[in-house]
Amino acid sequence: MAAIADKRSGAYTFLAYVTLVIISIFCLLPFVWMALASVDTNAKLFLKWPDGITFEHYTKVFAEENGVRWFANSLFTVLSATVLVMIISGLGGYALSRSRAWWKQPFLYAILLIRVLPSTALLVPLYKVLLTANIGLGNMLRPITGEYYRTVMQWFGFIDGYLGLIVVLATGQLPLALWIMKIFFDGVPKDYEEAAILDGATLVQRIHRVLIPLALPGLAAAGLFTFMSAWGDFLLPLILLSSPELQTLPIGLFRAFLRVNEIDYGLLAALATIYLIPAVIAFSFARRFLVQTFSGGVKG
Amino acid sequence: MVTDAFQKRKERQLLWLLLPALLPILILTIYPAVYAIYLSMTNEALTGVAAAKPRFLGVANYLRLFSDGRFWNSLFVTVVFVVGSAIIGQFVLGFISAVALRRKVVGAPVFGAAILLPNAAPEVVAGFMWISMLAGGEYSTLSRIMMALGLPWVDWLNTFPLFMVVMVNTWRGIGTAMILLTAGLAAVPAEVYEAARMDGANPRQTFMRITLPLMAPTIFLYMLISTVSTISVFGLVYALTRGGPGNKTEVISVYIYNQSFTAFQIGYGAAGAVVALVVTLALGIGYVRSLKVQV
Repeated sequence: MAAIADKRSGAYTFLAYVTLVIISIFCLLPFVWMALASVDTNAKLFLKWPDGITFEHYTKVFAEENGVRWFANSLFTVLSATVLVMIISGLGGYALSRSRAWWKQPFLYAILLIRVLPSTALLVPLYKVLLTANIGLGNMLRPITGEYYRTVMQWFGFIDGYLGLIVVLATGQLPLALWIMKIFFDGVPKDYEEAAILDGATLVQRIHRVLIPLALPGLAAAGLFTFMSAWGDFLLPLILLSSPELQTLPIGLFRAFLRVNEIDYGLLAALATIYLIPAVIAFSFARRFLVQTFSGGVKG
Repeated sequence: MVTDAFQKRKERQLLWLLLPALLPILILTIYPAVYAIYLSMTNEALTGVAAAKPRFLGVANYLRLFSDGRFWNSLFVTVVFVVGSAIIGQFVLGFISAVALRRKVVGAPVFGAAILLPNAAPEVVAGFMWISMLAGGEYSTLSRIMMALGLPWVDWLNTFPLFMVVMVNTWRGIGTAMILLTAGLAAVPAEVYEAARMDGANPRQTFMRITLPLMAPTIFLYMLISTVSTISVFGLVYALTRGGPGNKTEVISVYIYNQSFTAFQIGYGAAGAVVALVVTLALGIGYVRSLKVQV
């Protein structure tokens, strides 16, 4: 009896291996092509063993293409948005956790609903809003900035400017981050704060001395998820940026791929690998938080 | 200790803390969502006469939308895309992976990491990698694999475009499904399985009668969330096919994008956007209710 069970269990384990190997190959194959093509002296569109190993494609991304600029732009906008979200969601999440006011519940429902709205659907009116704001800002700044007008608008403009992209990227990630921080602060006992209040600490002191140190793990989770989504976002930079100096990695990669007559697969693969690596690093750290955030508050 | 006045002052302070989050959400999410409804009733455009002087059209955009075969096509493509990749593809492969990883397999972390890797890939990278797998007729990687197995090759993205887009999105989401369903499987108490084994249930019976029913809430929640998030997929499809060939892979988000930013008809695009917002909001309300959030 036990022998039959063992035999059957062995067959199931074998089946498990076969399934896992097939699914893993399916998942990994595209990455294998990209990694090999990025170092192949004669890279092709299809998967093949490299004719020779070279790191020329990587140097070319930085030396001949605008790779440094794209990378710097991506890193700057995404990190700015991440820091912004961490600050705002840290404060807001604390308020949502501690408040007992009437607006708390409607607000929490609202941010859950906002999470489900597709960004393409919001982008049309959002673009109009930003365009109007940008024209207003331009009219205001044009007389006082003179010859620096273009540069100033590239930094602070809402359309085709860093600030616009950063603020929109951050807003898109705020609902999830607020939710993460609210849940996190729910798990932080109030004793510490009450002790600080009894010691006569002000709100600012309480935040600075007590809450920020306690909130670091939650902030890390919120920051990682913001970084990952914003880093991978393609639609917003596609719509909001047009100056070549402002292009980010996803747009650089997309545009390089559209140059149909002179596609250099080695170069593209190297560029895609460079774009992929920060995402993989962030994801490997964020993995442990995945279940809690995905269910978005099953346990309230 | 906690007096009324103190509580009131505390609530006011908390509201100030929430304000920096409230403002951008109001201005850049809620207001645009409401503004979309207004825009959808105008002939607002990015260029031309209508850009300078938009006119109010009432429901004309909606009438046009509902008689636009391309719009209905995009709804159909979206349904196939969501059902094929989120409900069937990711779920089935993710569930199989989760169940397989529960057996004591050697190298489980390696398998887990391999299956999760596509989740980390940005949409454009995913699209680009899959072009290598699928484009180029007989030279594509998949065609070469088929030929090596002695099977015929096809021009994948032209012959089965929608199926290929579904497959690529499936590839991207197996990992998330696997992780969530693993958590769901782990939540089923071991005693239940023990009892089933004592009663002489075979693995299939155990799976059908115990695992599946007990997992039902997790599965339902997973499907709602993945449905909603799959509706908003844009970059992957756009990078891979840009909605083509023809409009065979034009999901609703690509349709809205093409109408608004390629054809520059903001008002008309907004009508499509409002339809997408209504559908996702309806699903979202279902999601919030099923969470039974206690806040």
